[in-house]
Amino acid sequence: MKKNEKNKNRMAPVTEELEIPKMQAPEKTFYSCDVLVIGCGWAGLNAAAAARKTGADVLVVDKGTPGYSGLSSFSSSHQWYDAEMGDDLQACLDEMVMANEYLANIGWYKKWAEHSKETYQRLMDWGLLTQYPTGAESGHWVDGDWRHDDLTGYHEEFLYADRRNRWAEVLRENDIPWVSQTMIYDVIEEEGKVVGAIGFHVPTATVIRFSAKAVVMCMGGGSIKPVGFPTSCDTFDSDWIGYQHGLPIVGKEFDDFHFSASFAPGNVLTCNSWTYLENIWLTGGDISQETLLGRAQGEAKNLILPRIESVTRGLADYARTDIQPASGRGKSRSGKFEDPRKGKWTSDLPKGDTYGAAVGMQLHLGCGIFCGIDDLEGKTALEGLWVAGDGCNGSCVSGGSYLAATGFTSNFCSTQGYIAGEAAGKFIQDQSRTEISSGVWDTYEHEILAPMKKEKGFRPSWACDQLHSIMSPGWVTVVKTEESLTHTLGLVKEFQKNVLPLLKAGDAHELRLCHEVEHKALCAEMKLRASLERKESRGYHYRADYPYRNDEYLCYFTITKDGEDMRFDRIELKDEWKGDLSEPYEKRYRTFRFPGEQQALNLPEDDTIPSSGWSPTKAFSISPEPEKGGQS
Amino acid sequence: MSVIRVDLNKCIGCQRCYKICPMDVFRFDYVRQKSVIAYPESCQSCGQCYLNCPAHSLGFTDGVYQHPLNAGR
Repeated sequence: MKKNEKNKNRMAPVTEELEIPKMQAPEKTFYSCDVLVIGCGWAGLNAAAAARKTGADVLVVDKGTPGYSGLSSFSSSHQWYDAEMGDDLQACLDEMVMANEYLANIGWYKKWAEHSKETYQRLMDWGLLTQYPTGAESGHWVDGDWRHDDLTGYHEEFLYADRRNRWAEVLRENDIPWVSQTMIYDVIEEEGKVVGAIGFHVPTATVIRFSAKAVVMCMGGGSIKPVGFPTSCDTFDSDWIGYQHGLPIVGKEFDDFHFSASFAPGNVLTCNSWTYLENIWLTGGDISQETLLGRAQGEAKNLILPRIESVTRGLADYARTDIQPASGRGKSRSGKFEDPRKGKWTSDLPKGDTYGAAVGMQLHLGCGIFCGIDDLEGKTALEGLWVAGDGCNGSCVSGGSYLAATGFTSNFCSTQGYIAGEAAGKFIQDQSRTEISSGVWDTYEHEILAPMKKEKGFRPSWACDQLHSIMSPGWVTVVKTEESLTHTLGLVKEFQKNVLPLLKAGDAHELRLCHEVEHKALCAEMKLRASLERKESRGYHYRADYPYRNDEYLCYFTITKDGEDMRFDRIELKDEWKGDLSEPYEKRYRTFRFPGEQQALNLPEDDTIPSSGWSPTKAFSISPEPEKGGQS
Repeated sequence: MSVIRVDLNKCIGCQRCYKICPMDVFRFDYVRQKSVIAYPESCQSCGQCYLNCPAHSLGFTDGVYQHPLNAGR
């Protein structure tokens, strides 16, 4: 009996963790290359391959491990423009202009349409778009209830097709070395030109130096903190770097649209499990002159309006535990049986009913470093520096709404990355390497390690929670007013003043967090100031005190460092991106109505235009008749 | 919510979780050849470690944890 008890104890699972061990510092702390690519998601992988193809000596550095870091590992769909399959370019352009609220960068969209099929084929060749059975078709799908389905079994059976495993292989096949688990702190600028970068190995806080003739930043965007969406490793690092070097940051006023599920709001795996586990769905074939208005209205009804309502109706409604039925399972949206573009999410999903899965995250492709209204390669104003990908290059290709089409981002980032990488590869051909003095390296090293040298201070995880509390309410990021934004900006300034100088890193892990919190705080301020600047409502920017579109704001606002201040500049759009300005308001804006818009502008009632039944005047103490917009 | 340890005995020391975690949650004990869940407070619950653990040493908590912070505040 005693022996059995002993055996039983020995066989009991060990659930306690070992002590945190000290990790081995990397031996190599200096790298030299022609083109340094920072970040290796869709944009970075393609940028590296394109630069390598020009003959350049390319090095990739990633905060995590290529294939598994950032948002690229969670992409769920992929779309390309394909005239041979019947895509109508004019219909696509018309939708981009109208559905994205007349803010879409049509120059970049045309560039994408020109190259996106090559991108699709390249990713197919690399084995990144391999199709395999859905959860619903596999034996691991038990009854459609996420609590019963065999997630690990499903993943293991189709591991051969897991594109994240392929990422490193693609780098190897293209003869591109990479450095993992290394956070880039800053790029190094000498005489107006980027000549390298510096960062640190995250597990050991070992400073790593990079000398390069050109740098392509593909570092993604950021969020203050995620609740149900896998974005926390994206921390606005590129916005912070660009801002420090005087580059303009665009698009901060438009917010991300992703929802979480109320029964497990912080559980990313549950809320986004199948988008992670299943295929990357091939999408497209669903935009025509006949469908474009209906698509835009449908998206507004499914995303923009419920988002506004979900933050104003109170917690009582957040109790949904059901599973969303699959839509369009097994058939393409074009209606053709042989069309491989089946659409996404063919297995049932937990219902996404709660807004705010990624507080502070910007709208896809609408925010980041702005390269100019004519730029079509991601070349920044800083010589030798290119930017590409979601959250890093603020091309604004999908304007204020991201109503491009499902699956646009993964292809667009890959296409833009390839273009930027190729340009950087050609640029370095007549460039010589610049020697960076030890004084410069040492100054940066001191800055990087400063939080570890503090004797007392605030823990960065605590600081992040404080910032999250300040920025997460619906009245800050969703239903905005002059008052709510001004008040919150005051809180962020207090946070910056009282917390940031005292951030202390107790170990290497916290060093990364200290720098990330600083980046988040900068972007929180930019987000609030940009929201104050745009005194209208448009796409994913809703001002309850200006609940209507105002064509005086058909522009991008950029934010640039000006001493200790943030300078705002207004970037005029090209005329052909603005649609027909002579159309009456009701016709020009027929996609959806913001709460309060109809009343404020005395628009005729029209039930065919989706609108919210919620009125801003009920919840906010604002004038029932807001100042009229400048509509002609 | 985060990654949890199902059984440390099952860990085969492959380092996959340590390498692929985007949030730097793991460390690796080279002497004992075991992974260590070092910073679970940084886990964003993406599940990549859990799904990629070949020995099923890692698990994942699910269910209701908190109110949806961002929505009702």
